[in-house]
Amino acid sequence: MFKLALRSLIDKKLRFALTTLVVVIGVMFVVGSFTLTDSLRSTFAGLAQDIAKGADLTVRVDQEFGGDFERATVPEAVAEQVAGVEGVDLARPELAALNVFIVDGDGEPIRPPGPPALGFSFNPGSFFITEGQQPSAPGEFATDTVTAANNDLRVGETYQINGPLDAEPFELVGLFNFGSPDSHTGLGQTMAAFELEEAQRFFGMEDGYQAVGVLASAGAEVSEVQARLEAVLGDEYRVITQEVEAAEQEEDFNQVVDIFNTVLLVFAFIAVFVSAFIINNTFQIIVGQRVREIGLWRAVGATPRQVSRSVITESAIVGALSTVIGIGLGLALALVLRAVLEVIGFPLPPGPLTLQFRTVVLAAVVGLGVTMVSSIAPAMRARRISPVAALSQDFQLGATGLRRRLITGGAVFAAGVVSLAAGMTAGMDTAPTFVLLGVGAVLAFVGMNIVSPVFARPAASALGRPLKAAFGVPGRLGRDNAARNPRRTASTAGALLIGLALMGLAAVVGESIKKTFDNILDNAVEADYFIQSSATGFGPPPGFPARVADEIEALDEIESVMRIQWAFSGLSVEGEPRDIVAADMSLADDHFDGQVSSGDMAAGDPRTALALHSDSAESLGVGVGDTVEATFPDNQTETLTVVAIFEDAAIYGNWLIDGALWDRHFNRNDLAFASARTADLPDAATEAEQASLLERSRAAVNGVIDRYPTVKVENQAEFRQTQQSQLTAIIRVIQVLIGLSFVIALIGIINTLSLSVFERIHEIGLLRSVGMTRKQLRRSIYWEALIVAVFGGLLGVAVGTVFGVATALALPESFVQAVAVPWLDLVVFVVISAVAGLLAAILPAVRAGRMNILDAIAHE
Amino acid sequence: MTPSPTQALATAARAVAASKIYGSGDTEVRALDAIDVAFEQGRFTAIMGPSGSGKSTLMHCMAGLDNVTSGQVIIGETDLTTLSEKDLTLLRRDNVGFVFQAYNLVPTLTAIENITLPMDLAGSKGDEAWVDEVVGATGLADRTKHRPNELSGGQQQRVAVARALAGKPQIIFADEPTGNVDSNTAAEILGFMRSAVDQMGQTIVMVTHDPVAASYADRVVFLVDGKIVDELEDPTPQGIRDHMTQLGA
Ligand SMILES: Nc1ncnc2c1ncn2[C@@H]1O[C@H](COP(=O)(O)OP(=O)(O)OP(=O)(O)O)[C@@H](O)[C@H]1O
Ligand SMILES: [Mg+2]
Repeated sequence: MFKLALRSLIDKKLRFALTTLVVVIGVMFVVGSFTLTDSLRSTFAGLAQDIAKGADLTVRVDQEFGGDFERATVPEAVAEQVAGVEGVDLARPELAALNVFIVDGDGEPIRPPGPPALGFSFNPGSFFITEGQQPSAPGEFATDTVTAANNDLRVGETYQINGPLDAEPFELVGLFNFGSPDSHTGLGQTMAAFELEEAQRFFGMEDGYQAVGVLASAGAEVSEVQARLEAVLGDEYRVITQEVEAAEQEEDFNQVVDIFNTVLLVFAFIAVFVSAFIINNTFQIIVGQRVREIGLWRAVGATPRQVSRSVITESAIVGALSTVIGIGLGLALALVLRAVLEVIGFPLPPGPLTLQFRTVVLAAVVGLGVTMVSSIAPAMRARRISPVAALSQDFQLGATGLRRRLITGGAVFAAGVVSLAAGMTAGMDTAPTFVLLGVGAVLAFVGMNIVSPVFARPAASALGRPLKAAFGVPGRLGRDNAARNPRRTASTAGALLIGLALMGLAAVVGESIKKTFDNILDNAVEADYFIQSSATGFGPPPGFPARVADEIEALDEIESVMRIQWAFSGLSVEGEPRDIVAADMSLADDHFDGQVSSGDMAAGDPRTALALHSDSAESLGVGVGDTVEATFPDNQTETLTVVAIFEDAAIYGNWLIDGALWDRHFNRNDLAFASARTADLPDAATEAEQASLLERSRAAVNGVIDRYPTVKVENQAEFRQTQQSQLTAIIRVIQVLIGLSFVIALIGIINTLSLSVFERIHEIGLLRSVGMTRKQLRRSIYWEALIVAVFGGLLGVAVGTVFGVATALALPESFVQAVAVPWLDLVVFVVISAVAGLLAAILPAVRAGRMNILDAIAHE
Repeated sequence: MTPSPTQALATAARAVAASKIYGSGDTEVRALDAIDVAFEQGRFTAIMGPSGSGKSTLMHCMAGLDNVTSGQVIIGETDLTTLSEKDLTLLRRDNVGFVFQAYNLVPTLTAIENITLPMDLAGSKGDEAWVDEVVGATGLADRTKHRPNELSGGQQQRVAVARALAGKPQIIFADEPTGNVDSNTAAEILGFMRSAVDQMGQTIVMVTHDPVAASYADRVVFLVDGKIVDELEDPTPQGIRDHMTQLGA
């Protein structure tokens, strides 16, 4: 039987190659993502050690929750206390700030596309000067060698630096390597370092330091010094060894790697899932085509077991080969991804690729496992083929009854929907949610696949009707062939369906977010100008100097400016970290209508006032006038009073505090966003007066902004425009990535069409013998492909739309309030899918055209 | 033995010194060996000969399904050896009918659609009255909407012959059209072909191994090793058997 399986593979080289290729793609993704992320992890481990090497011990405030830049600082007095402890040779205060942008010689701010722009106090333990000297006076700075080289920064020149508070000129006095004297270990972030006191002033962090690095005196035992420091400083502080510091750094890095890994694995999962469809499909067709042959084996004495085993063996060979090739290509993919990362601004230190045993095992599970599991059902069908099949002229495998299909498929689909619904309604950030969503999606797709053959025949007939009328025999045959084997049509379409459904889902959710945003702009926005970082790219925009807001506020034409800052996990209530927004609450209602349903944002003491979105108020069971105990990332707890409850979370999120309260607990001074209102004119003002005021105020605001190259201002129309185009760009990127599954589906269509052509060789010979031209033959195959692809496209878009609408409804209101369907996009997707189908048909069609007529006729 | 074409009748198709060689060197097979043969218009010719004598090869080459290695094949006035692949296809569609031993029909098309297939491929309506007449002659007028798998083997072959007739081709070639059916069914098919020649003036060339089938023809041509070795006018089954024994001897 092994021989038979092997023979069958060798005879059908193209089919073999295509099937293998499909599995290879899945394996490649799995191997590529694991290898890359394993390599990243080991690189980062080295980097973390480099970073930690600067000090024997590090002293920090023990933070209960929140980000590194939100941690409470170590007061100067404590730093002095540290220096006095026995065995401490040097206690070096350390300072770091986000969003410190150097402006290059051409006046362009240097913006790393993904990594942060950081400011530091110069730390001789980790920063090694390679040129010039370390900054030692006000007005001086040093930067890393890579940033200097990439942006042509020269020692001795003066550059503007936009800090958290203001933009100021600094002279570049030195270049340094970070981490090691010989080479810069960076991940693409830009680094500007200042003398300590200058850093404190420029960052606006005069009350303390983020950490104090400790060097033990020669001869002192580090662990003893650590114990002594712990005794002196008490519970409030942590004293961390180099190893722990490195481990914590590494953990931080790995969180990023994990996200990256997850994203890659999602694509791998989609790829594998689509492959499974295609493999299953291929083996079903192969068995279907070999019915007579298998009947003959049975007639000459092969047992059903031997028959099914030969099918499984064939799949095992495909799986094993794909695994091997997939591992090789996966390593290549990892290299490519690394190069891509470098190009988009995340340079990684060179290092060997790490192929772990675990990755190889996974590759085998995916390659062999998916292939073999996908061939079980076809193998079982092959078993049931009776010896008489060899004798009958036109034997058809008993297809599963439509009724049974509807019932089983419907049940599986329903289970999927239930699981999806459960996943959507459970909180958004828990692991079980993703499992529920994943399992739900898989079940839903499998259910669809079981049911869809029921629709395939009528759908193919309906889609093909105009073809028949307009394109004569080729159109007619294309339609008939698409309708001939509904299972095959449905399952080929199924491969396309997945990709399109995901694209459709992304499009609908994206459009709904856009619509939500539009509604907000239409209804909620009262301010005239919006000030934010001019950086473009993904993720939240970086902060900008707070001074910009002060200067705009001082303009005559401007009545008020509202400053907005925010933080993930910015405060903790009832033991749970909450994301917060800080704004001037006295202005909040004038700039953005948050739809206050009770209370008044401007009421109460801004230092203890809290405004809540109705969802959060409800889940906490509080109303206006109630108090809430809130802990901040600096470990301090305050009793806040709820002053207002609002309904629109788009701008203010769920938890809104005043800037005054923010300033007391956060070291971050840069602004995330600001809005400005022009002075109100008297009601009697004419339109011309109104327009002239807007013109003057815009000119004045521009005058301020022009001095800060990292900042931009937009009016309502511009603001709307850029927000929309950014959102569109993100959705497009996601769709393109999902579109990868298209490539696999494309191979699936080539495969299926090749097989369906093969199945009809005799018939094709016959058609050619009675005068069908090659062109007509090719056309009939194109039409068939077109029908299958459009069927898959329509089904996919329909499923994507339904799921997208469901998702949009299920997403929290703070994110999506309106549901919108981008009809044009959906039509475009179906067109793309049709074009993909036509492309896939080229190879099979050309091959069919070249076939020798007599050989074809001789084929049974 | 020289072929003696009836001068009074025009020639529908002929082969001139046509050779077909398969393979080369040691494995060379001379399936047709400089064969000269002509088929007159409005006559029914049977081709007989031992297995492997080149009958099918002759049919394929005459019908433009395959190319001869040397010599000429002429249908009407057209020399097939000068035609491009596309023109050959169009010639098959418009001027030649072909009936295979079995599986002559496209399974997804109904009987009537199979019959009008060449015309549909040409994008023309054809002669509808003629098609009706042909369908009537098959005796399948009430089954035209049926698909091939709903027809018996004999019915399928009659549909195949009807398709060959429907486009009024210059000539129809049939390679063992009754090879797969019982003698009653064979009689049905042969009767239909005979009447197509007599009543519709069609030209038919048919390969057969069966002397009874061959006796439906006006003339029998005997083929051995790719050459015409003998022929017989107005054959009877017994006369054919006698000739075959002679040839075999
Ligand atoms: N494609 C081919 N390649 C090589 N040799 C071939 C090919 N087709 C036919 N032949 C050879 O050419 C010779 C004539 O074959 P052909 O099929 O014409 O015989 P036939 O008279 O139709 O026989 P039968 O009565 O068995 O159908 C045979 O020897 C055969 O082996
Ligand atoms: Mg033959």
